[in-house]
Amino acid sequence: MKKLLSVVALGALMSSPALSADVKVGSVAGVTGPIAELVAPILAGRNLAADHVNAAGGLLDGNRLVMIQADSQCDAKAAVDAASKVVNVDRVVAIVGASCSGATSGMAQAVTIPAGIASVSDTSTAPSITDLDDNGRVFRTVPSDAYQGATLAQYAYDLGFRRLAVTYANDDYNAGFAAVFAATFPELGGTITASQAHEPAKPSYRAEVATLASAGDAEALALFAYYGGSGITIIRNSLEAGLFSRFLGGDAMVDQSVIDRIGADTLRGNIWLTQPISEEDSVSHMAFADAFAARGNDPQAPFAAHGYDATFVVALAIEKAGSTDSAAIAKALTQINDPDGEIINAGEWAKAKAAIAAGKAINYEGATGSVDFDANGDVPGSYGISTVGGKGTWQVAPIH
Amino acid sequence: MITFINFYLIPGVVLGCIYALGAIGVSLTFGILRFANFAHGDIMTFGVYITLTLVLLTGAHPLLVAPVAMALTALLAVAIDRLFYRPFRSSPAIMLMIASLGMMLMIRSVVRFIWGVQLQSLVRGIEQPLAWLEPLRLLPKHLLIITGAVVLMVAVHLLLTRTKIGKAMRATSDNAELARVCGIDTETVIRMTWILGSVLAVAAGVFLAIDTHVETMMGFRLLVPMFAAAILGGIGKPYGAVAGGLVIGIVEELSAYPWIGTEPLLSPSYKAGVAFTIMVAMLIWRPQGLLHGRRF
Amino acid sequence: MEQLYGYVLYGVTLASMGGIYALLALGLNIQWGFTGLFNTGIAGFLAVGAYTQALLTTPLSSRHIGGIELPIPLAMLCAMVLSAIVAYGVARACIRLRSDYLAIATLGIAEILRLIFKNELWATNGPRGVSQIPRAFEDLPPPWNAIAFMAMVLLIVLVVYLLMERARVSPWGRMMAAIRENEEAAAAIGKHVAHYRTESFVIGAAMMGLAGALLAQYLKQIDPQVSEPVTATFLVWVMLIAGGSANNRGAILGAFLIWTIWSATQILTGFLPNEFVAFGYTVGNLQVRSAYVRVFLIGLILQFILQRRPQGLLPEKRPAASRPSSAHTDRDSS
Repeated sequence: MKKLLSVVALGALMSSPALSADVKVGSVAGVTGPIAELVAPILAGRNLAADHVNAAGGLLDGNRLVMIQADSQCDAKAAVDAASKVVNVDRVVAIVGASCSGATSGMAQAVTIPAGIASVSDTSTAPSITDLDDNGRVFRTVPSDAYQGATLAQYAYDLGFRRLAVTYANDDYNAGFAAVFAATFPELGGTITASQAHEPAKPSYRAEVATLASAGDAEALALFAYYGGSGITIIRNSLEAGLFSRFLGGDAMVDQSVIDRIGADTLRGNIWLTQPISEEDSVSHMAFADAFAARGNDPQAPFAAHGYDATFVVALAIEKAGSTDSAAIAKALTQINDPDGEIINAGEWAKAKAAIAAGKAINYEGATGSVDFDANGDVPGSYGISTVGGKGTWQVAPIH
Repeated sequence: MITFINFYLIPGVVLGCIYALGAIGVSLTFGILRFANFAHGDIMTFGVYITLTLVLLTGAHPLLVAPVAMALTALLAVAIDRLFYRPFRSSPAIMLMIASLGMMLMIRSVVRFIWGVQLQSLVRGIEQPLAWLEPLRLLPKHLLIITGAVVLMVAVHLLLTRTKIGKAMRATSDNAELARVCGIDTETVIRMTWILGSVLAVAAGVFLAIDTHVETMMGFRLLVPMFAAAILGGIGKPYGAVAGGLVIGIVEELSAYPWIGTEPLLSPSYKAGVAFTIMVAMLIWRPQGLLHGRRF
Repeated sequence: MEQLYGYVLYGVTLASMGGIYALLALGLNIQWGFTGLFNTGIAGFLAVGAYTQALLTTPLSSRHIGGIELPIPLAMLCAMVLSAIVAYGVARACIRLRSDYLAIATLGIAEILRLIFKNELWATNGPRGVSQIPRAFEDLPPPWNAIAFMAMVLLIVLVVYLLMERARVSPWGRMMAAIRENEEAAAAIGKHVAHYRTESFVIGAAMMGLAGALLAQYLKQIDPQVSEPVTATFLVWVMLIAGGSANNRGAILGAFLIWTIWSATQILTGFLPNEFVAFGYTVGNLQVRSAYVRVFLIGLILQFILQRRPQGLLPEKRPAASRPSSAHTDRDSS
């Protein structure tokens, strides 16, 4: 049935090249869920990529890329419902999303894998997504926790830290990240003085911070949390109590509001956060960041650049596949990172379109890094460290 | 010992004060209108965002503009009552509860639509503890919160004991039928309940925002501790709500204290369960609350 | 044609979820509609059922306990039984509480259960949840696998409905209604009120457990978010009240109707552009904002139904015609 339909669709495309129908891509995200404040910039990132595509020739025969938004609420129930709607009613050809690993996993297993539709998540970092029996349909532009936890541990050790206290928000993202960190740091020779889960979104963490501090003289606090859920509150409580003054963490903490709420002078030189970046240089990241900032968004917002990349690779795959057949798109997602191909940076849609039209291989270097999907649809983690710069904003530097 | 006071007891009292102010409104609504108002937390959020807007517009200290926000929020609460709750005055409590649930979704959506979901703050930066209190570590804002809460609680006390409307409110809460028979205008009492409840909720929300930050779920996240405080203190008993709020706040913070060895007694990830457990235990063994609240 | 096919497939998912919610609403109808038990801990029993199903049927994993790989129907039975056992424990402690207090107690217990599922990593994999849960009929070729699963859900709903209709007009059902309306009188004629209430609570919870077992299969993935109270508890209440409390058909109708509204309002937001420019100023993220409007509309529809049809779409039908129908007003005023 599906094959028949795709043949019909292909035939329709070939027979009427002037037809400039919209190509619909699902944009599934937890717009109203517990991480709503994170999702808004991510969606802005996705939409920026779609606009870049549409402003520079669109897809295929000048067809517009339309993002069909659906709310996954950070919940498997809602994600399955939302994905089912965009897949069946809107007939999307691929999906960007969902937010939260549980939602992505449910959506993939219950809807997109059976339907044969490729999904590219920009926020789901759970290692279990790697193991899904997905028939090459599930991708993500955000590295699995396994990489980032180890990178942060190594970096902390290299900075000279030997005794660290660990606290993590008890959610799917932070718990996994912290577990890898807490396993790696002692292997390097460091000591974890205390490790505590905390329930996110409480008004105060003073007691937790005091208990962490009392367990041994830790040199810094490794803090795994979404900045809005508990991250800012814990930094604030630690500083006000004078218990911890230095912090390590990951990309879910990199947001301008952290600096704005706490104060740049207090944090400068005292906080190190891992963040995925481009490997060789950050031309691609800057291209994204400038365009994103021009719209009044914060380019450092967690996962916003991942959202951009996820959307951009879906567009590249559609172009590469030369059709809107979902199986062809899923296959093409693995063909846009040819090491010998022409380098495509973020925003360079016209160049990509021309290269594909000329039959040349392409290699997308995304705003977040190389975006080289492996056999499991995962990307390798290449990280930089964000610190507070002179202007009171986050500055990313590659790790050497 | 001083660690215990500085890092567990004082934060517990600050949190308790915030819970207590919010719980008074929950308790009065529960006592007088007979339903658990799920929208109370989001009414609080709304008031905080109004305060935030006024602070951004005028640059004044949040506490100076808070009264305006309180007035606007009280107006909203009375309007909501008129439109969405009054039709159910003689219906079962479940109808009001579901109506308040719908209200909760509606208010939160409005807040998110107007102000967005990004974090904001009323006061920026990190404060240093008051030097003259050493070795006690008390931040100026915490002194402000505790003082403000005490002033408001005394004001509520005076209102409830010295004014005609306050006495009518207590009488209605204790026994609505009797109060009506005695010629008390129930509608006036209900209006006053909404006004008082939302004024105190906005105060609690602004205090919380001064202590942490402003976000769209802040009120909702306080809902359960506020319910727990109201039940602990006895439904319809404002003083009980104050006591209950303080107890819940302090117990929540103390649950992370390393009573035995260096590990916290209870993993802090179970912290949210503390309020629930106290609440359920109270309901089972002493449903009238600490202060002999109303029984249904 | 292709579009129609899509709508049919979407309809299958709507019906599957609607059926699962119908089971929850029927379970709540036994507790609230028949007996007047104000249970706001639906999410807790749902989660017990879902986790039982998940842990008993998934293959061995290093992330959580299990690896028994029980056959699906057997696991569903276990889910019902375990939910019933938990409900019995809850009932032992709380069943004597009056309505509002029972509501708050069950809400609290459900949240404590959720915290346990979230924190006991060794058993449940904590916030990351359990995935790769086997679903009945998933080996059939698409779309028949989805259709067969939907058919199974709807068949279960039908069976439960028929059983409940028989129970409602049976002496047991009349007893329940008597307790709901006048507890003292029921006690005075020598009925063990607490005993009957416990029975009703446990049976209702078993159905919620069954719904959980179906939900786990349907999603193939569960984590503590499944017992998030807004969609797992309050939405069910909305369904029952909108459909018609104490009316089994009403419960089913309410479930399908409200779930369709909840789900299909998403289609509206898809029509909006991402941003529009007004007076040279770009109003961005319009789609994001529209998601909030959608939630607002759901709240408004709820208020509308409550005010216009307080008895629900299908009001209660009494097994005996001679009873006065003032029950709804005096239920909570004691």
